[in-house]
Amino acid sequence: MSFGPSLSTKKSKAIAAMVIVLLIFPVFIQDPYIMNIVILSLLFAVLACSWNLICGYTGIFTFGHQAFFGIGAYVSALFSMKLGLSPWLGLLVGGVAAGLIGCMIGLPCLRLRVAPYIAITTLAFSEIARIICMNLVALTRGELGLWGIPEFPDIPLWGDLVISFSGGDRTAYYYVILVIFFASLGLIGWMLRSYIGLAFRAIRDEQDAALSLGIDTTRYKLLAFITSSFLAGVAGSFYAHYILILTPTSVFSVGLMTEVIAVTLVGGLGTFWGPVIGAFSLTVLLEYLREFGEYRFMIYGAMLVATIMFMPKGVSSKLFPEKE
Amino acid sequence: MLPCRKNALRGTAERQHLLTAERIHMNLKLIAEQMLNGLVLGSMYALVASGLTLIWGTMKMLNFAHGELYMIGGFVLYYTSLLFGVHPFWGILLAVLVAFILGLLLERTILHPLLDKPGWDVSPIVATLGVSIFLQNFALKAWGERFKNVPYFIEGTLDLSGFRIAYQRILILVVAAAVMVGFWLYVKRSRFGLALRATAQDRDAATILGINSHRIYLLTFGISSALAALAATMLAPLFLINPWMGIPLLLKAFIVVVLGGLGSFGGAILGGFLLGSIESLAIVFLSSEWKDVAAFVVLISFLVFKPSGFFGTKEW
Repeated sequence: MSFGPSLSTKKSKAIAAMVIVLLIFPVFIQDPYIMNIVILSLLFAVLACSWNLICGYTGIFTFGHQAFFGIGAYVSALFSMKLGLSPWLGLLVGGVAAGLIGCMIGLPCLRLRVAPYIAITTLAFSEIARIICMNLVALTRGELGLWGIPEFPDIPLWGDLVISFSGGDRTAYYYVILVIFFASLGLIGWMLRSYIGLAFRAIRDEQDAALSLGIDTTRYKLLAFITSSFLAGVAGSFYAHYILILTPTSVFSVGLMTEVIAVTLVGGLGTFWGPVIGAFSLTVLLEYLREFGEYRFMIYGAMLVATIMFMPKGVSSKLFPEKE
Repeated sequence: MLPCRKNALRGTAERQHLLTAERIHMNLKLIAEQMLNGLVLGSMYALVASGLTLIWGTMKMLNFAHGELYMIGGFVLYYTSLLFGVHPFWGILLAVLVAFILGLLLERTILHPLLDKPGWDVSPIVATLGVSIFLQNFALKAWGERFKNVPYFIEGTLDLSGFRIAYQRILILVVAAAVMVGFWLYVKRSRFGLALRATAQDRDAATILGINSHRIYLLTFGISSALAALAATMLAPLFLINPWMGIPLLLKAFIVVVLGGLGSFGGAILGGFLLGSIESLAIVFLSSEWKDVAAFVVLISFLVFKPSGFFGTKEW
């Protein structure tokens, strides 16, 4: 049974085109600079989609998504460094750790209904995570930065043929994040089309009505928290093994949360493809704005204000207007 | 503390006992000094937070740009004393004025158009977040990233039989008390205060009775920004001025408003002093690196067990 809106032909054609372009893209372009931008776009798309699940679909305005990203990154990096865990398993372990913490953070949010209170609660949690990460110098090296994180091990294919993650070629990383990206979209898409997605939207639109109709709001809210933080954790652990150096400021900062909000909002909060469109357009735009140096973030802030004022539903609703 | 320990090593049991008493005395003095420091800082947290809670009370929104209005207050003070070399009083006055006008502009241009539209619970957070990033990076571009220092307004320390406190800190306490009492009287006694409280209680009813709620919102925003700037100027000699100085203050103000209850002016004051005390106790018993964690843990405990804080209404 499907509860989601049926796909228009225009939209399904656009999606098919996007999938094909993403799959064969590295065949034509191998420039590491462009590759890096696309990888970061995909990473941000995963992060924004996961936040969109909890904020856009379940209506819980969290302001601490950076914590899950950071926890995923640090847990995966530390497990692989100290315990020799394979970074492939690290993706899962990082995600699960973030999911567990997400469940913990979700608990106090269950009682709260107003966005500002939830924002403050989650922000407090993420600041605690950041300060702990900064202060446990013996483990995380604090602001000095955790480095020496192992790369993904090579995958042997056939004889001498291996998929190599070392060296300057980023194609292998590209396909890893592409798989994570498709898997995340698949998971979110499946959830939204099933009963779970209906429950999420019911909670968002009218919590009391949802409760009176027999929806276990506690359970579904926690599920939204866990799924969303799990995906952010997976994205974080990919980031750790891709960038290979972590500092508390780079992965736990409020700035990261701001970027996630901007990406989701510009694309379209509560729309399936919105965060993806937002991630690509903003990451590319920011790279383009690099020429403007210090004005970059001023434009960014102004854009956030302009979006919420003039286009609160984002670009996505303009591209694919949903039928009434 | 060090000579005390040296003596203890070669002392007799009796002597050791005496020294322990002395050490407890020293510790008590340390705690008392820290507590007083906490109260001084807390009074300023209360000022910053009362602006935040005032906006929440009337407009039901969270202002994420509050910290940046605080930051701009600090910079205005710094540049007026640097450029004109006048008494800090004029710098403070100008800072408050600039922040007041900026607050008015912010409300009129950005928040006013969002009012009464769907998504009011989230849209002001996002809009003010955008303003906050803009202002932070504007400050970075315009005034540079070097931390700036402002001298004490009054030099010297008061010495009460070994208990020392800088006059600057006493000044902070006096200013905070004066502003709080003054503002409280203003809200309780004046016509504007009456209109403000009416709008906060029930906007529609207030509008029917002829109160221009949009004007109330505008002035609330201005006053709130002015309070933030005033706190920044008073704290400027203690903390350094830089483009990011508003971020920790905003986080502290969030803690304060939740402890006191969002929307409650008295709650913000109580919460401010409480946060100041929590921080100073955390410095004594844990360490300064963990004081923010202690404060956040208290915040989350409140959100779990008593989300309405001390004086908040049921709005969470």
